[in-house]
Amino acid sequence: MTAHILTPEELALLTLVQDELVPAYGDLPGAGTLGGALTVDAYLAERPWLRRPVLTALRAVEAAAGETPFAELDSGGRVGILRRVEGEDPEAFTELVKQTYNAYYTRPDVQASLGIDGPPQPLGFELPAFDESRLARVQAMGKLWRDA
Amino acid sequence: MAAPELDSDVLIVGSGASGAAAAWSLSRRGLRVTCLEQGRWVEPSDYAHSRPDYELARQTSFAKDPNVRGWAEDYPINNSGTPIYPLMVNAVGGSTVHWSGHFPRMRPSDFRVRTLDGVADDWPFTYWDLEPYYDLNDSMVGVSGLAGDPGNPPRSPRQTPPLAFDAGCEAYLRGLEKLGWHWWPCDNALISEPFGENRSPCNCCGPCDIGCPIGAMSSAHVTYWPKALSQGVQLITHARVEQITVDRAGRATGALYYDDQGVRRSQTAGVVVMAANGVGTPRLLLNSTSARFPNGLANDSGIVGAYLMFHPVAFVSGVFEEVVNGQRGPIGGLMNCQEFYETDLARGFVRGFELQLSRSVGPLSVANGGILGHPVPWGSEHHEALRSRYAHTMTTSVMLEDLPEPENRVTLDPGLTDAHGIPAPRVEYRVGENTQRMLEFSIARARELFEAAGAVEILVDPLVQESGWHLMGTCRMGDDPERSVINGWGQAHECPNLFVIDGSTFTTSAAVNPTSTIQAVALRCADWLGKNYRAVAA
Ligand SMILES: Cc1cc2nc3c(=O)[nH]c(=O)nc-3n(C[C@H](O)[C@H](O)[C@H](O)COP(=O)(O)OP(=O)(O)OC[C@H]3O[C@@H](n4cnc5c(N)ncnc54)[C@H](O)[C@@H]3O)c2cc1C
Repeated sequence: MTAHILTPEELALLTLVQDELVPAYGDLPGAGTLGGALTVDAYLAERPWLRRPVLTALRAVEAAAGETPFAELDSGGRVGILRRVEGEDPEAFTELVKQTYNAYYTRPDVQASLGIDGPPQPLGFELPAFDESRLARVQAMGKLWRDA
Repeated sequence: MAAPELDSDVLIVGSGASGAAAAWSLSRRGLRVTCLEQGRWVEPSDYAHSRPDYELARQTSFAKDPNVRGWAEDYPINNSGTPIYPLMVNAVGGSTVHWSGHFPRMRPSDFRVRTLDGVADDWPFTYWDLEPYYDLNDSMVGVSGLAGDPGNPPRSPRQTPPLAFDAGCEAYLRGLEKLGWHWWPCDNALISEPFGENRSPCNCCGPCDIGCPIGAMSSAHVTYWPKALSQGVQLITHARVEQITVDRAGRATGALYYDDQGVRRSQTAGVVVMAANGVGTPRLLLNSTSARFPNGLANDSGIVGAYLMFHPVAFVSGVFEEVVNGQRGPIGGLMNCQEFYETDLARGFVRGFELQLSRSVGPLSVANGGILGHPVPWGSEHHEALRSRYAHTMTTSVMLEDLPEPENRVTLDPGLTDAHGIPAPRVEYRVGENTQRMLEFSIARARELFEAAGAVEILVDPLVQESGWHLMGTCRMGDDPERSVINGWGQAHECPNLFVIDGSTFTTSAAVNPTSTIQAVALRCADWLGKNYRAVAA
């Protein structure tokens, strides 16, 4: 898969950012290492209105890192930068986080880690039948509506 | 029946909940019915439920806000003047194509709010006048539920039994029993057992709000439309109506519309029936100006578009220590608590509300805040926070009666148009004082319920922006032409062969989801029109 919207530099930066937003957990690497940046690139290709906030947030991360490139910071340093950008441009940053979550939680391996066997259809779920006996107290309440 | 040169006897604009019911009812009487619908049939392959990224559909192809969804069939809405965004679906079946299927009825007192509580206006008929049409509608669409709720008048047996009762219900019940409040399994436009043709019973897959690929949801495109089509109704899709045409005397003659090739065409009929919903109908009437109706069709009173009502909604979510699996089972249909439904002035407001005890959503929607209104934090706490909410949350919608106020209205936007150049609607709305007081009280009650149920965290979205599901009141019914657009049969006071039958007919909003009432009203109006067609169309 190649990127359509993001430059190689933006893709690399987004990968690092995503690994801080949704870090590794158990056997699963972070959202960036899992390939989330390319998925977000596909969203940007499909929905152009997402480009502005996401690219703005990425540029702000780069700018906030200043002299030391984001890639050279340790995790604490990166998180500090991200918190700063979040404070300064919450709207753009929120979109970046949202698209990262979108990329991450639509992956079957991530879903499996949450105990999800597959999409909702065709299997659905079997749930216990309704138990009418639970209504005894309410049935005894008598008429609760006003006639008119 | 109509003069042979007319294209049809009755022209219906809009194929949603009300238009579908009326098309079926009128064609049953042998009338030649045409329906113009701007949308298309939603195909089984459109649904996302079999894909791992199904939850994305809430933000894209099945977003409930047409401004976000942006289908070619949608029209833009200027939302800048309202804290609540109007939501709808523009397709065959209308907004029932992806909805939650909550199907409660209004109560008798809802039709008599002026008489009983001294506010707003009474409806021009009573609950008891509408009851046979509620029953007829239920028998047509298929409802799951249970008769016998002491909170409501007795009703006919439900077509299929109530839906499942799971860990989430148990959690709610803990609270309800402790507080001694009313509850009942809610009526759902959703079949739990086989019913109707080409439909499968609900298999509890969860996300009804992005449509139902198996036909378990009683949406108009799987209930009324197959029957209406078999009775000969002509349904023209991709047909966007621009205006209702009138003759010199001010009688409706049909409609001008754009077809699927963008060609502007006309349809003539003896009677025109508006079923384009609480935003679409006033938009079209306001756009239908003529020498006789310079302010818009049937709008000498100036109130077409006024008295818009939503049901302002707050979401209150309870996070439990135990797994409640709120993402399994129909998202909406569970239980209703109508403990606070009737007026009690000691609470500081008139009228009342219900607590819709509902379920929850999958991990992506939980992460993004979904119906919780609070995104899961990013960073090192992310995974633990997500795991504490996902599968551990139940969400209650607080649904309030919204009083009709003339300032809340749909007008035509001076600049914005749809893809065909037709003026787009602008919505102006503010939450009234009575409603605000009720909102605060009701959120406190929902919190109380979750506390009693043992929730470890309670999340509140005090006024949900994307909650304009219910579009009501913009061509209200009444006996007084100064205060209403149509009479109790849906007939316009100022244009006797124009009818309105959709959500815009509502005189008041009640505190329950409107669609079972919208359809019952549509059937009642269509029944009357069918019986009186000759006189009306003459
Ligand atoms: C996400 C969501 C969830 C909901 N959940 C519930 C629920 O649980 N319970 C409940 O009772 N209600 C619910 N509703 C509301 C319910 O869907 C509506 O109350 C109901 O569909 C309204 O019926 P209607 O006939 O007034 O209009 P609609 O069903 O909206 O139909 C109007 C039709 O008119 C067509 N139309 C409009 N303008 C034009 C034009 N210019 N030319 C041609 N065609 C036109 C539209 O395309 C549309 O198909 C929900 C709605 C949404 C969006």
